This record gives sequence, structure tokens and C-alpha cells, in this order.
Amino acid sequence: MSSNRWLATGNYFTSYKEEQRIFTTSLDRSVMGVFLCVLFSWPLFFSIGNKYMLVVDNILVAVIAVIGLNLVTGFAGLISIGHAAFVGIGAYTVASFCRVLGDSHPLITHGWPPMIVAAGCMGALFGAVVGLPALRLKHLYLAIATLSFQMIFQWTINFMDFFDQGQTISVGRVFWVTGEVARNEHYLFWYYVILTVIVILGFGVRNLLRTRYGRCLVAVRDNDRAADAMGMHPGLVKVYAFGLAGFCAGVAGALHAYLYRGVGIDSFTLYHSINYLAMAIVGGLGTLQGAFWGPLAIRVLDLQVERLSEWAGSHVTAATNLTTALRPLSFGLVIVLFLMFEPRGIANWWRIFKSYVKLWPFRY
Amino acid sequence: MSYFFQLVVSGIVVGSIYALSALGFVLIYKSSRVLNIAHGQIIAAGAFITYALTVWMGIPIYLSFAMSMVITFFLAMSVERIFLRRLIGEPIISVIMVTIGLMSILDGLIYLTPFGTENFSFPPYLPTTPITVGGVSISWTQLVGVIITFTMIAGFSWFFKKSTIGISMRAVSDDQMASMAIGISVPKVFGLAWAMAGLSAAAAGGIIGNITGLNFDTLHAFGIVVFPVVILGGLDSIQGAVVGGIIMGLIQQFASGYLDGNWGLNGTGEVMPYIILLVILLFKPHGLFGIHEIERV
Amino acid sequence: MKKDNVTTWTFLLAALCLLTLPAQALAGEVYKIGLSLAITGPTSDAGNPYAKGVEDYFKYVNDTKMLGDDTIDCMIRDDQYKNDVTKRNFEDFLDQGIVFYLNYSTGSTLALKKDFEEERMPVLPASFHAGNLVDSHYIFLPIASYSAQMIGLTEYVVKHNKGGKPKVAMFIHPSAFGRGPVEDVQKAVAAGLDVEIVEVVEHGKDLDNTAMLKRLSEKGVQYVLCHTVQSPVATMLKDASSLGLVATSFGEEGKITFLGAHYTGGNDLVALAGDSAENFYWTTSYIVTSEPGEGTDMQLALAQRYNRDEKAANSHNYANGMMVAQVVTEIIKRAKSKGKEINKETLYEELLDMNGANAFSPKTTVGDVTFSESDHQGVDTLQLYVVKNGTFASEGSPFTPEYTSKIQ
Repeated sequence: MSSNRWLATGNYFTSYKEEQRIFTTSLDRSVMGVFLCVLFSWPLFFSIGNKYMLVVDNILVAVIAVIGLNLVTGFAGLISIGHAAFVGIGAYTVASFCRVLGDSHPLITHGWPPMIVAAGCMGALFGAVVGLPALRLKHLYLAIATLSFQMIFQWTINFMDFFDQGQTISVGRVFWVTGEVARNEHYLFWYYVILTVIVILGFGVRNLLRTRYGRCLVAVRDNDRAADAMGMHPGLVKVYAFGLAGFCAGVAGALHAYLYRGVGIDSFTLYHSINYLAMAIVGGLGTLQGAFWGPLAIRVLDLQVERLSEWAGSHVTAATNLTTALRPLSFGLVIVLFLMFEPRGIANWWRIFKSYVKLWPFRY
Repeated sequence: MSYFFQLVVSGIVVGSIYALSALGFVLIYKSSRVLNIAHGQIIAAGAFITYALTVWMGIPIYLSFAMSMVITFFLAMSVERIFLRRLIGEPIISVIMVTIGLMSILDGLIYLTPFGTENFSFPPYLPTTPITVGGVSISWTQLVGVIITFTMIAGFSWFFKKSTIGISMRAVSDDQMASMAIGISVPKVFGLAWAMAGLSAAAAGGIIGNITGLNFDTLHAFGIVVFPVVILGGLDSIQGAVVGGIIMGLIQQFASGYLDGNWGLNGTGEVMPYIILLVILLFKPHGLFGIHEIERV
Repeated sequence: MKKDNVTTWTFLLAALCLLTLPAQALAGEVYKIGLSLAITGPTSDAGNPYAKGVEDYFKYVNDTKMLGDDTIDCMIRDDQYKNDVTKRNFEDFLDQGIVFYLNYSTGSTLALKKDFEEERMPVLPASFHAGNLVDSHYIFLPIASYSAQMIGLTEYVVKHNKGGKPKVAMFIHPSAFGRGPVEDVQKAVAAGLDVEIVEVVEHGKDLDNTAMLKRLSEKGVQYVLCHTVQSPVATMLKDASSLGLVATSFGEEGKITFLGAHYTGGNDLVALAGDSAENFYWTTSYIVTSEPGEGTDMQLALAQRYNRDEKAANSHNYANGMMVAQVVTEIIKRAKSKGKEINKETLYEELLDMNGANAFSPKTTVGDVTFSESDHQGVDTLQLYVVKNGTFASEGSPFTPEYTSKIQ
């Protein structure tokens, strides 16, 4: 261990305990602290309008969902093509309460924190149940089992009267200590709530990965037979991974329901599942920061592409086909090119950047 | 009873189209272990090329059908060359993600043409009065579609069993290292697998287009429908794709024929395949015809 | 290593370029209007000409100085038929201070209903779902609701069926859009409309409807009322025609006559189904360009002025888009002539005032547009069309369904 915990230039660990610290250097910890302060305080100084606040909130909700997906796909190595369905389970947990109690029942408007946790637990439950085939299935067969769940979920919501056949079920406005959260404060309020949830979940996952309960995921991903020989039960670990992912997804779903003040099936379709997968991969699978980079990159890209096609549309009037085409075209191109040149995701850039800073002015 | 047999016939018709759509998917998986999410878009492209050649350029249908297969053959081959060749050796999930991006790109390219948003329909080439035997009817288009499907599947099966390239493709799917050692060019095999997938996708697209008309949404939805089909049959088996396809078609027809409208159920045709798939996978984790691989630490 | 660096920088540069795209600059006194609809994605075959209709008409308004020096700036955004995107677009429009909002899908109209109420924003959606109006003060349907259309078709069947109680089946889209009218038709039947609804079929992405059609035919169904989008209807018509089940005249014995509401019909149906579409009955409140008239001339002239292709120019959804733009222009004009300031409140008042002597005739519809506190459905009259030789021809004169008032 270098004596200076601020400017360590390399790996000086002398015990496993040191290696497992959350922050390897004091600098890391301070940077994180400042970063969090900035995240919590910037809305006090700038106003970016409701649209962009909604965009920001939306990214953060996706971050929570992707943290979950990253646990199951990145750390445990199980491809899930049904993650949006788990998010949907969370959202529809809130929606079910609204259907039974009415959308402005105090339990929903005042008791929203326990509602969010309940939605998470529901997600975890469904995650574990869907993960059950993992006891027997492997690889892509398992991926398709999650796809089946996605389809069955969509069908169930679409055809059940209780869920209003997939139409938007409205969720009432919530209350905070200062009273009802008004329309103009709505997105700001949820920004803080979602951010808090992310901080809690982020530290939770980071800590989990330091324990045997987190490392077993990685062990099973790397070689499940070897993990078996080491005394783990690969099947159960996989089920447990799905449960964890389901929890994060459920929380994300409940937040989505409150943020949009409504739950409709079209936010939880196969398209969204694929989109979450895209976020996880672009961010960098198997890294915690990947879950932050991915949603940010994909959503911002989406927005920019949208603006690009709109701009093209206003300049090239005759060809609406062009504007229509530009969106998927540029989106797909960026994803494909990105993955062709950086298959390990944005998290890898971050790693390179960090080691560059650490060693500066020397090159490695 | 004729209703039952009608469902059987419709199921086989629909199922064989599924089988043909799934075939391309299996070909790619078999050789390179890539799950091609953009397969539906390739099917759609095949259908549109056939239409453009036939209706806009006035080429006879049988010729344009073959031509579109050739065009899509090279199209898919170049897709593999440009996008996927670089990724050999990268984690499989990145490769899958690339096919998702590819899906977006193909979407975009198709939106550049009128086919993206508008609807077209082939002029009828075959007699429009259906063949009816004992109250069960099948239209000429469907019958011809089924015949083409089975011919193609038989052709591919033969190709893999007997021809040198086919055997080398199977070798690559079995063990890439070993096949390289005996002098098989693995990249070439990958390219060829994509090309043949494109060829079968174009055939599927042409047939579907003739049966239902050309609507981009309907056509690219086939990319997802093939998932349960291929998993049911086993991801790496051509016969599996056929059996899986037909089982899927039958399940769909029977579900919507007997369940819809009763007990408040509707649209069961879309969900039943997935439910049955889950049940089958619980008993046969590698599908009905998939190969059980023995893994070593 | 060096090569990797170059590629990395190229990407960063590309990302920067995307980020700094110029925003649209605007000048002069403008009234901002927002339209969010599906130009791509599901139902874009309807949304695309709709967007063109709106865009062209507002351009026409500005080019011909219909509002004097004032201009209308209509922001058109693609939401790909996704409610979340629609919501974001709506928030964006609000940030930019729109005075009127045009919406599209049934799903997003229902999802945003509460926002419209809170914002007191008058809205004209392209969805004619009757449920849009429940608990809402600010949503206005341009024409008669889907329920009214379906009831109108059922009434037509009852009136023109020869002998006995007609047996009908309904073929609907598996969504709120499709299911909405079913209940209302059933209510009308309970209120005394003399038909038997044999079966309600929700279609999936079926490749083959043969079995379903045979089943209906065995049950003695003579009429199928469709309420969905064109392509499933086209698939069904093709199958029916290959089975020889399509009636050649209305109500032909032993055959099936197909009828459909607004979004089932139009030229796209003929394009998809070809000859099988022959003798398909369709109702809407819009004019079709295959029938000569003032509205047709207007529609074709507008499309020509802005270089639209044949297909868009003749689409009834182009007329649909034009018509909502006409209504918005009209209320702005009226509010201006009364010397009112143009904002969402005054436009809302003008919309509510559009009745009696103030009714508005856009010419692109078969009747006048009327709105009031109690009537949020614009054009109440419907026109029946039938496909003859590949084009839609009027069948009878415009009518108003009777049972819509009886079931409320």
C-alpha cells in the first residue's frame, strides 16, 4: 500500500481486504462525494424546462432498470430478453393498487415509498419464478425463456379487463411533507426521489459484489461447472440473480408509474427489453458504471437522432421518407459502429481514461 | 369435422412458412452461434425486392423470385462481411447487440423506400378459386408456397448432409479450432451461412408477401415469431426448424380456432406458442431436436 | 494503439456534431401549435398522410396570408405510436407555449387526458374513440366516434337486410381502439336494434383467416363489421374472396358482406386487397377524392401545390389532417375577428361556440363541424362508401346514427 492514499499510482494492495474497499483511494472517494453534491444541487441553479427534466428522470429510471439487467446479464452472464416485463411487473403492481383502491387513495399518494419497495419485491418474486427454468436451461434457451415471459406478460395485460387491457391506468399525484406535489414541481420532485434510489441501489450493488453473494454470480458466469465444484449451486445462483434483477426492475417500474402518472402496456414491450439490453451492452456489461453510461448514451443518442431527423425534415421538405428513415438508420449505425470498435462498452473508455490520469504524465 | 381438418391444413400452411423463416435463422446460429435479431428485416427486404422486380420492372414472377433470392444472398453476405467479420472472437452478446443495431439500420434503409410506410399487394398470378377437398380449402398461392418451402428445406438438408461445403459448415459449428486446423476457412463459412440465410429469407418473404400483401410491420414481425420455432425444434437443427414451425402453426391455428371467443379468451394464437414452448423446454432443455453438448471444466 | 485513438476521436467528433445541431430559428408573430403523431412505426400508413395534410394546410394558411401578418407555427413531432414519447413531446410543446394541441393515437389521448385537464389545453386527436370524452372537458373528436360509426353501420345492416334478423360478427383490433365500440354496439342492441351479434373476433397477426371465416359462415353470419386498420382487413378479404365468400351485392344470401369504420377503409385497403376489396362497405365523415366535389378539388389542389405524390393526395387521412388544421385556423380567425388575444382559453371558447349559425363547413367532410359544451364530436353525419371497380363510391346520402343518442 502506498503511504499516500490520495495519489496512488498503481496497485499496492497487500491484503484481500484492501482490494475489496469500495474506494481504492481517497481521491476516488472525494471525487464521488463532489459528484453526488453536484447531482443533488444543480437543479437549484439551473432550470431546464419540463421536457428535459422528464428526459433526465427517464434516463435515471432506465439506470435503475439497467443496474438490475447488468446484475443478471453482466455479472451472472444470463441473457435476459424480458427485462421490460419485469419493469412492467413493478409498474403494474402500483397500477393494481390504483385499480382496486382508486388512483388517489392515501396508500398510493402518501404511502408511495413502501409502494415502491413492494413493487420491487413483486418484481423479485416474478424474477425468481421466471428464473426457475434456469435450473435446467442454459445459454440461449434460457434467453428465449425470458422472451416467452415477455410475450406472456404482454398478452396477459393486453387481454385482462383488470388491467384495462393495456390502456393507461392513471396514478394519482403524490404528497410530500410540504403537501401535494404540484404539476410544475412534479419532475423535479421525482428527480430527487429517483436519484436517492439510485444512490442507495448503487452502493447496495457495489457492496453486494464484495460479498460472497455477489461474487458467486461472477463465478457462475465464468464457469458454472467450476462453481459447482466449489460448492455453489449454479441453478439456485441463477434464480437468485433473476430475483435481484427483478427487484431493481420492479423499483424502476414503480418509479416509472409515478413519474408518468400512469401505467400502460406500451412502455413495457419487447422493444423496451431490447432497448435495455442495448443500454447494458453499450454501457459495458459486468461493470457497475456501465449501468450509468448505457442509459445516458442511448437516450441522448435517441434524442439527438430525433432532432437530426427533424432538422433534416425542415430543410428537405419533399422527402418525408428521408426523415423517417434517418432515425433508425443513424441510431443503428452508431450502435453497430460503436460495438465494432469498442465491444466492451463505454465503461472501458472510463477505465482507459482513469489509468491515463493515474499515470500521467507517463504513458503505459 | 371439416372445421378440424381446415385448422390442420391452415396450421400446416402457416407452419411451413414459419419453418422457412426459421431456416435462415438456424443456418446462422448453426455455423456462428449468433442470434440474428435482424432476420425479420431480411425477410421483409426479400419480399420488397421481389415486388419491385415483378411489378415495377415487369419481370415474370418466377424469375424475379429467383433473382431476389440471389440479390438477398449477396446482400446478407456483405452484411456479414462488413459488420460481423470484425467481431469474430468478441463476446457473443456484443455480436447479438450488433444484430440489434443492424435491425435498426435495415429499418432505416427500408424506410427510405416507399415500402416502409405504404402497403402493396402482388397481382394474382395463380387461379383465385381455392382447391376444396371435402370442405377443406387451400388457396393456390398457399399450396405453391408450401411446395416451395419443402423443396427448399429438402435442398438445404441435402446440402448439409452430402456436399463438401455443407459438411465443412457442420464441422465449423462443431469445433472452430479443429476445423481451422484441417484447413477450413472459418470466415468464409460464416459468410456463406449468412448468404444462405438471406436466400431462404428472401424465399420466405416472397411467399408471405404473396399470401398477405406487403406490410412492413407484418413482415418484420416474423423475426420474432421464429424464436419459439427455432427453440422448439432445437437451435441447431434444420429438421427441428421444420417440425417446430409446423407445431407452431398448428398450435396457433388450434388455439385461435377453439379457444378464442370462449371463456373470454382472445388472441390466444399469439401467446400459446410461448406457453407450450416453456413447458417443452422444462422437459427437453435443448428443444426437441437440439444436440445436448457435454461440457467440461 | 494509435489507430484506436484515431477511431475514438472520430466518434467523439461525430457525437459532438450531433449535439450541436442548429435549432430552428423563428421570427415574427406566431401562434404555436403542436402535433405529435406516428409518422413512423405502427399505424404510420395513416399517420404519414395525416401529418402531410396538417403540414400542407398550415403552410397554405401562411403562404396565402389567411391570418394577415400572423402565422401559424405547427411543430410536428414523430412519436412512433409510443405514449411515453407523446408525453415528452407534449411537455416540450408546453415549454414552448403552444395555444392548441393536436394529438393522434387512442392510447396517448387516454394517457394524457389528465394532463390536458390540468393544463386546460384544447385537443383535437386523430382518434375518434368515444372513451376519450369520458371525464374530459378539453378533448374534441373531429368527427363522429368509432362507436357512432359502428352503430351507423349496424343500423344500415338492419335497414337493408332482406328477411329476418341479420346475423353479424365483429372483427376488431386487439386494443382499446378496437374494443371501445363493441360495448356500445351491444348497448344499442339491448336498446332495441334488431340484430344478433354472433361473435366478436379479435384478430392477431394472422396469416390465414380461412378457418375463422368458415366458422363464421357455418354459424350463418351474413355481415362482418370491421373496426381495425387496413392490413388485417385486407388479409381477411383476400381469404374470404379465395373461399368465394364475399357477397357481390349487399346482403347476398349465403355470402358475407364486409363493412368497416374509418381506419379500415380508404385507398390503402384497395391497394392491399386488390380485387378482393370489391363491394366492401366503409363509413367515415370525410370526403373521398374518387367522388367529384368542392372538397375533392380543394384537397387535390393543396396536395399539388406542395408536390405531394398521388398516394398522399388521394388519402382520406390527408383529408383528415387537413380538416383538423382547417378547424384550428378557423377558430384562430374567429377569435382574432372578435379582437381576443389568441391563447388556449380563447380558442377553447371558440371551439365550444362552434354550433348553430356558427357551425363550420370545412368542405373536406360530408357535414358541418359542430361543437358545444355537451357535444364534443365534430361532424355528426356519416357517409357510406362502397368499393366499385377499385374505387370508393358514395352509397346513399349522409346519415346520422339514431341509436347513439338512445344508449347514453
